[in-house]
Amino acid sequence: MTSDDPGPLVRLYGLTGGRARALGEAFDLVAIVTTVSVPFEPLGLVPEHLAVLTMCRRPTPVADIAAQLRVPLNITRVLLSDLRREGLVTIDQPSADQTIDERIYREVLHGIRRL
Amino acid sequence: MEFAGSEPGVRAVAPLATALKILVAGGFGVGKTTMVGTISEIRPLHTEELLSDRGIGIDDTAGVEAKITTTVALDFGRITIRDGLWLYLFGTPGQDRFWFMWDELALGALGAVVLADTRRLQDSFPAVDYFEQRGLPFVVAVNCFDGARRHDPTKVRRALGLTGSAPIVLCDVRERDSVKEVLTTLVTYAISGEFS
Repeated sequence: MTSDDPGPLVRLYGLTGGRARALGEAFDLVAIVTTVSVPFEPLGLVPEHLAVLTMCRRPTPVADIAAQLRVPLNITRVLLSDLRREGLVTIDQPSADQTIDERIYREVLHGIRRL
Repeated sequence: MEFAGSEPGVRAVAPLATALKILVAGGFGVGKTTMVGTISEIRPLHTEELLSDRGIGIDDTAGVEAKITTTVALDFGRITIRDGLWLYLFGTPGQDRFWFMWDELALGALGAVVLADTRRLQDSFPAVDYFEQRGLPFVVAVNCFDGARRHDPTKVRRALGLTGSAPIVLCDVRERDSVKEVLTTLVTYAISGEFS
């Protein structure tokens, strides 16, 4: 995608109604998004919103969602923040401090060795 | 998929799913994407961040009509440790003006791999400085390209001006076992807490 090719950008910002920033609390690239199983009106949702709801029946990190939707990260974040505002997904932030969870790290270590 | 978890014996759906990040940094063409691809269980995924001319990394609360001037590509791979625990490897964008993306990637990260090419060690300086300043555990992985001399880790440490105890590993990013060794060295180092 190049800056002198407005076509895809028009479409992308069409997805978000021109918004470039996500609403509410910021969330990480590996924050976990999970669909909340509630009845909802698909009114006002774009196909990408619905794709997220299907994808995130299994908890899925933000980066994976962006890659699967083939939509840039910040646009993905706007879409996710829409769904969060509507109560259709939860977004769980990873711990942002650098304190380590040794049990999980050891699990990771063993997991890598097993590969 | 079942979401009801209130009944005893009904399994809640992965309530504690966790994804950990490892950054793979280093100069252009040093083999970051190759390393990610060698160990990832999926073909490395690609995403992009759109940057506006309103200023990189500045929070734009108005959030409207930002004009996009460039995109930053971000490639990443994934290793499933178990159901609900994933390790993500992010290749960091090379250019210095994308430091703001490094900040986000580094936040809460397990650690980083600084990939180095002994013919262009200076390309690794910015990444080493960055992780030292942030106190993020990192290892220096010297990618031994065909024909590249196998350098003495002590000399590499001196040439890089490493002040801390960051391990140095010689590797071949095309070899799975070699990449595994780099990652296990990093995680072991992170657990040790010696870097802080």
